[in-house]
Amino acid sequence: MNDTERSAARMRSPEGIRGSLHDFLKIAVDKGAVDSVLAPVKVPAENSYAWILMNDPAVIESASPVAPVMPVQGAKALKSLTRKGKGESRILAVMRPCEIRAGIELMKLNQVHFDNIVLVSYDCPGAVPFQDYVKDPGFSEESFGKMIASGRPGEENIKPACGICTEFSIVDSDIHFGYFGVDEGSAFVIPVSEQGAELLDAIGLDRDAKIADWESEISSIRDKRTKKRTETLSAAGERIKGLDGLINAFRKCIGCHNCMSVCPICYCRQCYFDSEVSKKDPDFIFEIAEKRGAMAFPRDKVMFHAGRMTHMSLSCVSCGFCTDACPTGIPVAEIFSYMADITQPTFEYIAGKNNGEPLPLRKFEKKELPLVHEIVKSAEGEEGSDE
Amino acid sequence: MDKKYVPRITSFLCKWCSYTGADLAGTSRLQYPTAIIPIKVMCSSRVDPVFILRAFLKGSDGVLLGGCHPGDCHYETGNYHTRRRFAIVKTVFESLGLEAERIRLSWISASEGPKFARVANEFTETIIAMGENPVKKKIFL
Ligand code: SF4
Ligand code: FES
Repeated sequence: MNDTERSAARMRSPEGIRGSLHDFLKIAVDKGAVDSVLAPVKVPAENSYAWILMNDPAVIESASPVAPVMPVQGAKALKSLTRKGKGESRILAVMRPCEIRAGIELMKLNQVHFDNIVLVSYDCPGAVPFQDYVKDPGFSEESFGKMIASGRPGEENIKPACGICTEFSIVDSDIHFGYFGVDEGSAFVIPVSEQGAELLDAIGLDRDAKIADWESEISSIRDKRTKKRTETLSAAGERIKGLDGLINAFRKCIGCHNCMSVCPICYCRQCYFDSEVSKKDPDFIFEIAEKRGAMAFPRDKVMFHAGRMTHMSLSCVSCGFCTDACPTGIPVAEIFSYMADITQPTFEYIAGKNNGEPLPLRKFEKKELPLVHEIVKSAEGEEGSDE
Repeated sequence: MDKKYVPRITSFLCKWCSYTGADLAGTSRLQYPTAIIPIKVMCSSRVDPVFILRAFLKGSDGVLLGGCHPGDCHYETGNYHTRRRFAIVKTVFESLGLEAERIRLSWISASEGPKFARVANEFTETIIAMGENPVKKKIFL
C-alpha cells in the first residue's frame, strides 16, 4: 500500500517463481512467523488442485503455490476459514491477485476477516480454463510451466478473463512476489503492508533490491492489457445491446446458476433468484403463454443475469470463474466485466481495493458524486428536483 | 397505438410521503391516470434494484419510484440510499440498451398532491408515446 519507498528482497530458485514461493512458505512456517499455510495442492488423482490448509511439513512440501488451474476461488476458501471472525491460528495464504481482491470485497461484506491472515500475491500469468485442464492435464501442465518460465503473462491457453486482466500484479495483499521481466530464477519479494514488512523482517529477508525496472515492466504490460480489455469489452457490450441482444446472449443458458454459485462475491445463503418468491404461479405462466402464443423454459434468464448485475457488478473483480463454470460456453465473465467497468467508475469505485472505503451501496453522499447525481437527475423528468 | 391503450405503470411509493401524496391527490379530486398502480412500501429504500427490473421484465410499461424529498425521509437517510440504488439500476438498463426512460424516480412529499398528479400524468404520457413494453412479446426471456 506504500508506493513511495518500495524496497524488496530477492529470492532465487532453480524452479523459478514456484520454487521461491514454495521456499518462502516453508521458511515462514519453520521460523514460526505463521502457524499454517493456505495454498493449492495437487489432488492425488493428479487431475485438479484443491485449497489445503496445512501445517504438516510433509504436506507443505507437496504444495503448489502457483497452480495452473483455479477450481475454487481462493476468496471462498478464505471465507470458509474466517467468516465468523478471526481464527485461532495465523495463516499465510498464497493467492492470485483476483482471489485477494475478491477476498477484500468479501471483507467489506463481513464475510472474510483478515486479522490473522497474511496475504501473499504474485505476478499472475493467467490460469488454464478448467475444462481444458481436466481434458488434458499433461498438456496444460506443460504449457503453463512454459508460461511461468517465460516471465511474462500468458497469451494462449489461458482463460479469456485472464487475457484481459489489468490487475495481474501487485494488489492490496501483504507481500507480493514480482517476477515478470526479472532475470530467470529470480523474484522480488515486495512488502505491501506493514504486516508484510514485519513478516519479512521476522524471517530475516534483507530488503536491498531495487525494483524500478520490474515496476516499469508491469506498467507497460498493464497498458497493453488495458487497451485489449477496453476493446474486448466494448465489443461485448455492442453484442448484447438491446432486449434482443440480451436475449440472444443468454439463449443457450440452461439456468443452472453455476455462474452464480462459483462467484466469490455472491455470498448470500439464499439468493433471490433461487428463492420461491422469484417463481411465478403456473396460472400466470399459462396466462402469458396464452397472450404471447408461446413461452420458453427455463424462464427469467434475462432477469437472473441483469439482476445479478445490479447486485454484484460493483464488486466484480473479473476473475472469470463464471465463464469457467458455464456448461454451455456463454462468455459470462466478459458480459459481467463489461458491466463492472461501467458501474464501478459511475460510483468512483474500484473493486478489490483495501483503502477503508465501504461498498458504494453501503454509503451515500448528501451531495452525490457527479455521475450518480446526473443519473438521478435525468430520471426525475421535467420538473426536476430540489436536492 | 389505439387511443384507448392504457399502460401499466408499477409505482412503488413510500408510505410516509409519496403514497400519502397520492392519497392527497385523490382526496383533492385531482385527476391522475388509471395507468398508475400504486404499491405501498415503507420507504423508497425498500425497493431493491431487482424489484424495478422485475416489474419491467414482467411487462410493466413503466416503473415509478416515489419517495420523500432527500433529507426528509422518515428514516432519515433511506432515500439517500435510494438514489444510489436507483443509479445502479438505471446504469444497468442504459448499458444493456434497455429502455431506461421507462423507469422514473420522483420525490413527492405528503403535501404534494398536485405534484403527484402532475408526475403521474406526465410519466403516463411519456409511456404512451413510447408504446407498449416490448418484453410483452418475447417468448425467450
Ligand atoms: S452457468 Fe451458464 S448456463 Fe448456467 S446459469 Fe450461468 S450462464 Fe446460464
Ligand atoms: S420514508 Fe419516504 S423515502 Fe424513506
